Amino acid sequence: MMVMTQENKTERYDRIFEQEFMPQIDALYTFAYHLTYNEDDANDLVQETYLKAFRFIDKYDEGTNAKAWLFKILKNAFINQYRKKAKQPNRVDYEEIVGYHDEEDTNFSSYMDLREEMFQGMMGDEVTNAINALPVDFRVVILLCDIEGFTYEEISKIIDIPIGTVRSRLHRARNLLKTKLQEYAESLGFKDKRS
Amino acid sequence: MRDQNYQELVKKVTMYLDNELSESAERELLREIKANPAYLKVLSQEKSFREFIKSIHRRKPSPALIQSIKEKIRIAPV
Repeated sequence: MMVMTQENKTERYDRIFEQEFMPQIDALYTFAYHLTYNEDDANDLVQETYLKAFRFIDKYDEGTNAKAWLFKILKNAFINQYRKKAKQPNRVDYEEIVGYHDEEDTNFSSYMDLREEMFQGMMGDEVTNAINALPVDFRVVILLCDIEGFTYEEISKIIDIPIGTVRSRLHRARNLLKTKLQEYAESLGFKDKRS
Repeated sequence: MRDQNYQELVKKVTMYLDNELSESAERELLREIKANPAYLKVLSQEKSFREFIKSIHRRKPSPALIQSIKEKIRIAPV
């Protein structure tokens, strides 16, 4: 049986850190920035994530999903540090959102032509604002799924919610975005096709 | 298309675009899409919407942040 000496343990941890953890820093920073919208806070969050990852590196199985593991650490750090400080947008009342969308969804298909016009690049920065204005719980699933390409199962593990909730939250987040984009379109003179 | 059917179709198309449908469900959806031009429109619009949203800017961490992390790791006990 091979006994792991302190020296080869250190070498192994250094290798994991350099080869598996550090390559994820761009994705982690993008995620942190879109959670906090503040460069200093994003820096602090990413730094805290890496320090925690290193502290608990013996809990990580080499060659497994480092990206998902680090994202989970970052998400927990965000909740612990930043929700307490209330620097991020308020959590939403899901019932309010659900009720609102149930009402909107009945006529949703009539938005399709309008949205197609919007996809021609006419909207500019208002679209970015719509994404930024999403409640944080909805923004998180959009970022994890659409930007980082995590599976529903991975997202479920990262943010500790059932897969069914991941699916419904994504559905609502996308519908909320579509609704927000529709409002912007109307403010720029696009007509709601229902009227 | 009735609203209920439309919502069901959007859900299936969404899961298809997220690579979350089983192989058999994916085959069934693609068969439905092939048989119904209106379904194809829904797929292309949902796909456009997804690409549109993606086009959320990635941000790069500063070299100073990377340096700071590496320095702190060097002195941190495991």
